[in-house]
Amino acid sequence: MRTFKFIAPAALALLLSAYRPLPTEKAVSDFKLLATTGRMVSLADYPKAKGFMVVFTCNHCPFAKVYFNRLNDLSKKYGALGVPLLAISSSDTVNFEEDGYGKMKEKTAKEHLTFPYLYDGSQATAVDFGAKKTPHAFVVWKENGKLVVKYAGAIDDNGAEPEKVVHHYLAEAVDALLAGKAVDVPETKSVGCTLGIRAKK
Amino acid sequence: MKLRTTLAAAALVTGSLGAQAQYNSLWIPDTLSGTTFNLYMKDTFVQFLTGNQTITAGINGAFWGPTLIFQKGDTVHMNVHNNLNDSTTLHWHGMHLPAVMDGGPHQIIPPGTEWQPYWKVTNTASTFWYHPHLNMETEAQIASGLGGFIIVRDSEESALTLPRTYGVDDIPLVLTSRSFDASNAFTTFSPYGDYMLTNGTMNAKTSLPKQYVRFRILNAELERGYNLGFSDNRTFYIIGTDGGLVDAPVAVTRVKILPGERTEFAVSFAGDAEGDSLDLMAYNSGLEFGFPGSEPSTSGAFGSLLNNTNFKVLHIYVSAATSGAVSSLPTTLTTNTYLTAADATVSRTLKVTDGVPGEGIGFRFDSTDFIMDTINKYVQLNTVEKWSVTNSNVFGHSFHIHDIQFKIISRSSGTIPSYEDGWKDTYYLHVNETVSFVTRFNDYADPLHPFMYHCHMAPHEDGGLMGQFVVDSATTGVAKTTESAPDLTLYPNPAKGTVFVSTSMQAYYITITNAVGHTMLMLPRPNLMKGIDVRNFAPGTYYLTFTDDKTKQSYTRQFVKYADL
Repeated sequence: MRTFKFIAPAALALLLSAYRPLPTEKAVSDFKLLATTGRMVSLADYPKAKGFMVVFTCNHCPFAKVYFNRLNDLSKKYGALGVPLLAISSSDTVNFEEDGYGKMKEKTAKEHLTFPYLYDGSQATAVDFGAKKTPHAFVVWKENGKLVVKYAGAIDDNGAEPEKVVHHYLAEAVDALLAGKAVDVPETKSVGCTLGIRAKK
Repeated sequence: MKLRTTLAAAALVTGSLGAQAQYNSLWIPDTLSGTTFNLYMKDTFVQFLTGNQTITAGINGAFWGPTLIFQKGDTVHMNVHNNLNDSTTLHWHGMHLPAVMDGGPHQIIPPGTEWQPYWKVTNTASTFWYHPHLNMETEAQIASGLGGFIIVRDSEESALTLPRTYGVDDIPLVLTSRSFDASNAFTTFSPYGDYMLTNGTMNAKTSLPKQYVRFRILNAELERGYNLGFSDNRTFYIIGTDGGLVDAPVAVTRVKILPGERTEFAVSFAGDAEGDSLDLMAYNSGLEFGFPGSEPSTSGAFGSLLNNTNFKVLHIYVSAATSGAVSSLPTTLTTNTYLTAADATVSRTLKVTDGVPGEGIGFRFDSTDFIMDTINKYVQLNTVEKWSVTNSNVFGHSFHIHDIQFKIISRSSGTIPSYEDGWKDTYYLHVNETVSFVTRFNDYADPLHPFMYHCHMAPHEDGGLMGQFVVDSATTGVAKTTESAPDLTLYPNPAKGTVFVSTSMQAYYITITNAVGHTMLMLPRPNLMKGIDVRNFAPGTYYLTFTDDKTKQSYTRQFVKYADL
């Protein structure tokens, strides 16, 4: 009813979203990132894996913090089934000292993280995956020698109250793939802190 | 999981939330008082709906911030820590202070940085607030929950028999509304929310004592106005406007309050029985064209389930009177001396232009875009000015000016409502109306840092309905200098806990950045007598940039922070 200026961006966003390809079913590249154990880790290190859960997260974000216990549980359960979990912090460490590699090492030890916690200092892996938030979960599956995204979005639908979760999106996607089925909900909105990508110099 | 949401929405549509509503106890923000205030802005989350939490931002908390209690005459020091994901600013709305401390769009605090403004409280007792003011991002940051009350107390107000026990008979109420998307995240697709949040509480209820109770109402909405009244149409008494007490209590049954405005009123529950209940209501149905929230649509770009309808703001149960209850109001509160049009030596006009549907240009002042490095008005120190703001376009606005409190002297639409006959910093500018006010600019000249004037509807302000002015004087111009080697030394260097600055210059601004360029500290006009506390810095190399007050030239020096042994 009022000005076109304020309506236009919303309409444009709707248009763009209509033509935006789904983040799922796209292939991503393998990466080689420094883990908090001190060694370099890439997906090629897991020749027997059927696929992976790759979760972009970080130390500082309050919404990421509430999920580390659940990542431990997911890692234990699905790691044994051939779907390892890898967590990646691509946070801007100039803005967030708490997300520095040293602090990641401290967190790994203190919270007994059972999965590799990787430092993506260049943010290149976050850009490749299209990670927007922390946490932002992806399921990638090995298909004809490629790493294909089968799920992208939230880990589940209740951050602070794990006992009240109704949809375990990430686990349900892996369950379906392990059963040879298509993923029911291939994309959800990841809820959390915006993952800021620093401009290229 | 979505059932409750749907039911609540349906009830709101029919306006029959009444008996079946699940009320939640009204949250009252904590208070901070003294002269040093530590504020931590951070991203967090709140359980508003069943299911996933809503990502919010808070100050020392999860949604909204603490109420800061200032004493007039004190110098208050603010330690503002931006622990958000994004840059921000923090503006002290209604406070009279130097522009460099104002927290407007120019005083940007990068993430991870501490900003330390300070000022002497010269405002008289009233209710003010603080909120982010980042250009183009104000709507998003206010929507996330950033803001808080400021209550100024002074000896004159304290001597009056008025309700004054915070949270008991002196109730701060911040009014706003929000909508949620399918994942329970806030959405500002429409600036009008579907759910009323009173102090961040949905379906708020509270018990109030059987006596005079004072309400400090703040409209912190993105765009909606409120036409407040009680469900039994009882009379209540306006005792204060944005900037101070009114001369005498003003009896009303309705008060309109637009985004940014505050009103203080007292209402008596002495005649009610304990256990009785009533509602503070928004009587927003059938209001005039251009009143924000009068639109009929319930969905779409300007839609809301609360549009053009009457809805509850607070469900009140009457409880036993407290000891020291106020049983009658003073007939005289203060004696304000207002400036008049005859006092003004400068007259300015401003016109709200553009914003015509289909033309692709947002609301602007005088057909001019808001540009960060363009000063729109120069005000000379010690002048009394009359500003006349005209709105002949398609919607109402909420005009706000920084730095000063003013007195409205005329409304072309008719008389000035008695409930705004006092000190103001924000007002409702109707469609097809010119409003004139008079004010004095009597201190804080600064040729560099401007003050803002703008529409306080966040989407309008972000869209360009904003301008800026500097208060200037002959003696505050930037002096030209050819001095090339200023005396500026940091010691001890390396430093452990405190860095001292040795110089003959006056500091206008000091910033400290670390070796990778991250800003650690921002110190407007710092007092350097006690040095700069760097105890919280990690060991390493830092750069201190010093801006001279006289020349506004900046000089950088390096220092090293040692680890504590």
